Amino acid sequence: MQAALRIARSSARPLRATTVRCLATAASPAHAAAASASTTTARKHSVIPLSNVEAQWQTMAQEDKAIVHEQLEELQKKDWKDLSLDEKKAAYYVAFGPHGPRAPISPPGTTLKIFLSTMGLVGAAGVLMLAIRQFAPPPPKTISREWEEASNQRAIEQKMNPITGITSEGYSGKGFVVSK
Amino acid sequence: MRPQMLTTVLRAAARPTLAATRVAPALTRPASGHAQETFEQFTDRYVSFFQNAEDLFEVQRGLNNCFAHDLVPAPTVIEAAVRAARRVNDYSTAVRIFEGIKEKVENKQQYQAYLDELKGLRQELGISIKEELYGSS
Repeated sequence: MQAALRIARSSARPLRATTVRCLATAASPAHAAAASASTTTARKHSVIPLSNVEAQWQTMAQEDKAIVHEQLEELQKKDWKDLSLDEKKAAYYVAFGPHGPRAPISPPGTTLKIFLSTMGLVGAAGVLMLAIRQFAPPPPKTISREWEEASNQRAIEQKMNPITGITSEGYSGKGFVVSK
Repeated sequence: MRPQMLTTVLRAAARPTLAATRVAPALTRPASGHAQETFEQFTDRYVSFFQNAEDLFEVQRGLNNCFAHDLVPAPTVIEAAVRAARRVNDYSTAVRIFEGIKEKVENKQQYQAYLDELKGLRQELGISIKEELYGSS
């Protein structure tokens, strides 16, 4: 098995340089291969500036991406100390930048948007509650301090609940008074 | 009397003896004992892996496995991995390795310690870390 794998590997060596690069950098290898087949002549003439790859990458055509891949591959064979910052950034962006499978799931500012809309909904619910309460009937007349104290007086007149309740000895509760 | 004795003897002979059946298999391993790899063995394993890695795919596969454990790979492993990235001519992977360390360490001091430890290597190969490429983040 191992030996077979080694043989397959070594026979695949000529292809490897391009395909592996594509695998590692998440550009689809099929497209890149197709592009490299169709634009072998075009590639020799066109050189894509690497300084602005990050901005263009999303809208770049597959063939151009393949060209950039090839350029970077050649570039990275040099001494890395000779690379300019733009070239380094381009190499990093193409391989591991936030595009393709590494694109952020939600664009920046989504958290704030979700927070604000949630707060808006809560606020709308509060406004709705207040609006409905405007149309509610007034509370019953028996729920008032005056009425409850009168109920207490009446209970004492009638000697209501003399064992444990309002007219018992040493009673210290509030009787019927519940409202403040 | 005699036939009875005979049957008992025969039965005893026919009964399989415990000592004969209970032969432990030659290749055995206690179920509770797992092979434990020490940190040094892990380090050695990945250093030799990265030294023998032949192409980018293999380097990246090794990095994936290496960084999947509940530990921060030793600086020697990092050095071997970075040199492997240099060998397969992939600058971005070298940058990514340092990004991986940043993810794995517990705090900024540890990350800084790794950066200081590997400063010579970074200068030798001309690797900028992601913070240097994109400003502070």
